[in-house]
Amino acid sequence: MPKVYNWQIGRDMEYLYDEARPKKQFAMVMDTNKCIACQTCTVACKTTWTSSRGQEYMFWNNVETKPYGFYPLGWDVNILDKLGVQDIDGPVYKGKTIFEAAPAGDRMLGYLPDDLDYAHPNLSEDDSVGSMTQGAFMQVPHMQWMHYLPRICNHCTYPACVGACPRQSAYKRPEDGIVLIDQMRCRGYRECVRGCPYKKPFFNSITRVSEKCVGCYPAVEEGRQTQCTITCIGKIRLQGFITTPQQANEDNPLDYIIHFAKVARPLYPQLGLEPNVYYIPPIHVPPAYLKQLFGADVASAIAAYRKAADDKKLLGALLLFGATADIIHRFKVTDQFAIGYNEKGDELVRVPFREPIFLRPAFDEAYQSVRSNIT
Amino acid sequence: MKAMSRILYLTALGLGLAGCVTSGPESAATDVEPVAARGSHYAAQLSKAVPAPDGGLQAVRVAGKGALLDPFAKEWDGVKPVTVAMQPQVVATPNQPNPAVTELSVRSLHNGHWLGVLLEWKDGSKSDRLVVDRFGDQVAVELPVIYRADSAPNPMMGAPGERVNIIQWRAAFQADLERKRELSIKDNYPNAASDLYPDQVLKTLDLRSYMGAAGVDNPVAKHRESPVLDQVAEGFGTLTTKPHQEADGRGVWKNGVWRVVITTPMSADGANAPRLIPGDHTVVAFAVWEGAAQEVGARKSWSDWVPLKLAR
Ligand code: SF4
Ligand code: SF4
Repeated sequence: MPKVYNWQIGRDMEYLYDEARPKKQFAMVMDTNKCIACQTCTVACKTTWTSSRGQEYMFWNNVETKPYGFYPLGWDVNILDKLGVQDIDGPVYKGKTIFEAAPAGDRMLGYLPDDLDYAHPNLSEDDSVGSMTQGAFMQVPHMQWMHYLPRICNHCTYPACVGACPRQSAYKRPEDGIVLIDQMRCRGYRECVRGCPYKKPFFNSITRVSEKCVGCYPAVEEGRQTQCTITCIGKIRLQGFITTPQQANEDNPLDYIIHFAKVARPLYPQLGLEPNVYYIPPIHVPPAYLKQLFGADVASAIAAYRKAADDKKLLGALLLFGATADIIHRFKVTDQFAIGYNEKGDELVRVPFREPIFLRPAFDEAYQSVRSNIT
Repeated sequence: MKAMSRILYLTALGLGLAGCVTSGPESAATDVEPVAARGSHYAAQLSKAVPAPDGGLQAVRVAGKGALLDPFAKEWDGVKPVTVAMQPQVVATPNQPNPAVTELSVRSLHNGHWLGVLLEWKDGSKSDRLVVDRFGDQVAVELPVIYRADSAPNPMMGAPGERVNIIQWRAAFQADLERKRELSIKDNYPNAASDLYPDQVLKTLDLRSYMGAAGVDNPVAKHRESPVLDQVAEGFGTLTTKPHQEADGRGVWKNGVWRVVITTPMSADGANAPRLIPGDHTVVAFAVWEGAAQEVGARKSWSDWVPLKLAR
């Protein structure tokens, strides 16, 4: 197998094809600390993309409660279990990726979920890891905890779905790195479903082929962020493009958050796909668990996030979440504002660091009436 | 994978089969490793395994001129079945080293206009419902588009410039035929409930972009009038559905046995159809997938070329 460089695990690794990075790479940052699991993103995606026959069970975007929530059931614990215990300490990953752990006759380590694994899309919603004993009080990290994990396809740099498909029906677009399944070419072998450790390709039992999150490519082509991003109630998401650490540009808000401030981490980087959705880890969750999810650097990511108030540029980048429907390519912070620009350099949005304060007296002079709600 | 190619290579030599062992085709899939041996060896090897008269299949001539579509037609009774050994596809990944079906029983007829191939194999479970973890039973007949006795194309789906015609029957398409209406979610999940679909509110033209594979007329995504796909290939990963679907077939599962007939017109349609002339020789190969064992695509068992003589 060809050798490619995966910066998330700090080393070369085996992949099915040679390294071929797209001109731009679709990416998203999600701040898990702000997600309220309202599922607005899920519904926005569902109504946009998966309302047809055979798509009834599909959630290209889903939000699960960790550690016990999964969609499909057990997706991550199943593949971690198959991969076995690996050494995830240190900047260079010493364990095996799913490509390096491929059993004989297969292209990667994977598994096909059971049909019933998709039966309960929000199983274990809000379940925490234990119950509180008499007299317990809240500490941080919490002794009983859970957190929300919103998920879309990671539009991976080294997609397992692309590597798995013997017909080359799954492909990565050179212009923006979005990973798609050619609906004409696919014959429904489900190798992508089996191969993708994140279980983001879905089999459509009516059209008899596989489908996956399309990264809202028609919107992205027009410079607009994905549906799940722009509808997010918690303003937890920012979608744009990312570069490698070597080419990182501190004026690109995603690059700044990921490569400079280093507060966001990929999901299960040890699997070797170089996924392009980055998470600001939930700060109240025990580090041992988070390390498995987000890799060795998770503790420093949390430490940096806690100090966000000292890093005005980071604070500015975080303010741009949910501030505009357009894709922000560059940003700048001034004394008062975080300003986002599009690819051409036009200003898209200007977000104040401090919201102006308006005082509304309890008595409304104009209407000569008392306000019952003055918030 | 390399080791396995070598085993095939050594087996061919070990059996004392002469001929040129060349490196294999460049496939469209960049990761496919070279195939170490070519068709002629397999044909010779197989004639040992199949003790059929004259070393292969005879397509017996019958009267009539229509498609040979009835798997239970009485004409089949007069033809002696030939047992074809099936082996795991292990040249390309992914694969299934221990496929469920190890032999097919094959018969052949022709009427001067249509060739018919009757395939039978044991299968304890009829698999024609496709949901994420369920795959369908399938069988395929492969014929070279151009056959020269001195150099048969690569039996493993052909090679660039060595086009083969692959006619694949699928149990799920057979189920379409018997259902006589569009597949609905309740066929796959009887208790499913759904409210409104785009096709209930939008006109056909606006609808296409909501229909996924069906919206782009993917041949596997639409309701099938025929249970077979008439295709061509020039190597792994190149299987392409022919613009004109000419072949046809029927399959019946009874008492743990699939009995499937695949039929194709003998009048050639140029670059995509095999030359089938009464009195001539050609070769034929087979592939089979056991749905219950999750065999699909490259996870299959296949045969080498079997000589096929078309009666005059
Ligand atoms: S819309 Fe935003 S806050 Fe709501 S569940 Fe989705 S990611 Fe979380
Ligand atoms: S998350 Fe899965 S489906 Fe998405 S690009 Fe990666 S491997 Fe493919």
